Amino acid sequence: MKNGLILGQMLRERRRATLWWSLAIAALVLITAASYPSVKEAGSAFDQLVEQMPEGLLEMMGAADGLTTPAGYLNSQLYSNVLPIVLLIFGISAAAWTVAGSEREGTLEPLLANPVHRWQVAIERLTGTTLLLAVLTLVATVLLVAFRSPFELDELSVADLTAAGTAAFLLSLLFSGITYATGAATGSKGWAIAAGAGLATATYVLFGLSSLVDLFESLRWASPWYWFLQPSPLSEGWTFQAIGVPLLVVVPVIAAGTVVFTRRDLT
Amino acid sequence: MNDAPSIHVDGLTKRFGKLTAVDDLTLQVWPGEVYGLLGPNGAGKSTSIRALMGFINPTSGRVGLLGGHARELEIRRQAGYVGDVTLDRGLRAGTLLSWYAGLRGGVPENRITELCSRLELDTSRKIGQLSTGNRQKVSIIQAFMHDPDVLILDEPTAGLDPLLQRTVLRMVRERRDAGTSVLYSSHTLPEVEAIADRVGILRAGALVREDTMANIRDVARQRLELRFAGDVPADVLRDAEGVATVDADGRTAHVVVDGSAADLIDRLAGLGVERITSHDDDLEDIFFEYYQDEQDSESNRDHTHEDQGVAR
Repeated sequence: MKNGLILGQMLRERRRATLWWSLAIAALVLITAASYPSVKEAGSAFDQLVEQMPEGLLEMMGAADGLTTPAGYLNSQLYSNVLPIVLLIFGISAAAWTVAGSEREGTLEPLLANPVHRWQVAIERLTGTTLLLAVLTLVATVLLVAFRSPFELDELSVADLTAAGTAAFLLSLLFSGITYATGAATGSKGWAIAAGAGLATATYVLFGLSSLVDLFESLRWASPWYWFLQPSPLSEGWTFQAIGVPLLVVVPVIAAGTVVFTRRDLT
Repeated sequence: MNDAPSIHVDGLTKRFGKLTAVDDLTLQVWPGEVYGLLGPNGAGKSTSIRALMGFINPTSGRVGLLGGHARELEIRRQAGYVGDVTLDRGLRAGTLLSWYAGLRGGVPENRITELCSRLELDTSRKIGQLSTGNRQKVSIIQAFMHDPDVLILDEPTAGLDPLLQRTVLRMVRERRDAGTSVLYSSHTLPEVEAIADRVGILRAGALVREDTMANIRDVARQRLELRFAGDVPADVLRDAEGVATVDADGRTAHVVVDGSAADLIDRLAGLGVERITSHDDDLEDIFFEYYQDEQDSESNRDHTHEDQGVAR
């Protein structure tokens, strides 16, 4: 059989939905970026407010660099919350469908009656999820790069914005990969979503409260959000913890889930 | 007949937790043969078939197709499967068929068109919008389009009207005549009677009888409802060969016949029978002797229901 037919079919089926997601992300990014000049103008008032806040709260908001610098603003308004959360919702739901969701629909079994390997179905669909996540991140990054001058964000270099986009993509890929692997190994869509979304939420809370709660501070090294945001690729560029660590974690998880899938009973 | 079976199941046992869905099942299907796997819902038909297709692993025993195993692509390339499955609801029937044809390395477009017109399927509609019967047609077409050497059909005519059921049976016969081995599962006797060369009767996961269709017919019980123009001639009915019980209710007689009804029908000539209705859908009833002990015990009946849930 020819390779890529399962991937191609998945992408074709998701064309329209991906277009809508792209438009939503584009709107989100543009509105956020377009608001920066006003925030900057009101800067001194904001900075006074910020000075009164406890340091922990600022870190939780992703605003350790201050709210009015371009990096601080985009981190607190986009990269530490809305953008990764939107990417996670998209990635986790797509990843949950790849094996477990289609198994539950009942569409996986007839597909596997064709001469295709189980691992091939799984990996082609995971590739599809990855590509779609990349498209959404690309839309956000390209818009930020294109509009950074009019919106007075030109302090940020193309490399920094690209690094931040890549890191956001890898963060969502990490939790999508965990979702995929759990679904592939168990055949349960519920467990798959619980694992991906549950871990994303738990590690988000762990990181968010780490500067306020001593116990969490000693554990925050384990949170992908910590890898992603501290220090932020927006100011530090391509760091190993934001780019390399998520890949080091997700690849073995994906491999293990795929191996179990090739051997287990379909449900 | 070749010297190797195309489908073989050797001591297959499948347990789900404490439940034994299939218990030490052994059967072979030869090239050019249709094997009817007969049993009520929950008897283990689907579980056996899913093990044959490599979807689930046997707890013990072995299964094989065409000298290999369905896990090998080369084997699945030559196999066709209709199961209790759902096809992607968002796809047009035609899109799904050409996608599957591509996965099989290409099937001539006119072959698909021919099957669609034979089964009267409109391929431009989305699968989710099709009726159960039309969805079943899509399933049948994808199983037949590559002229497979082995066909695994799990209740393939479910949801089809009688005319199309006959079309499907004709398609199965054509494949058989071309040398294909067919495993055909059903929970109704008339369907299997129409198609199978040999029959295996499955009960609670175990094969309780395996025989040629001709021999099975001799023991199958028939439940006939005869409506007379006048009073029921109960004595005549009771005297007929094979009649087990007669129950008269006004002008209607409920007659149970073991084996052939030929003698009974002979004797009915001239007695004013207006209508004969046959109720032979219920396997437990037809193969009374095999299912008798099951019906005696309530706990076993519960077991059957559990079985149903697992075997889908």
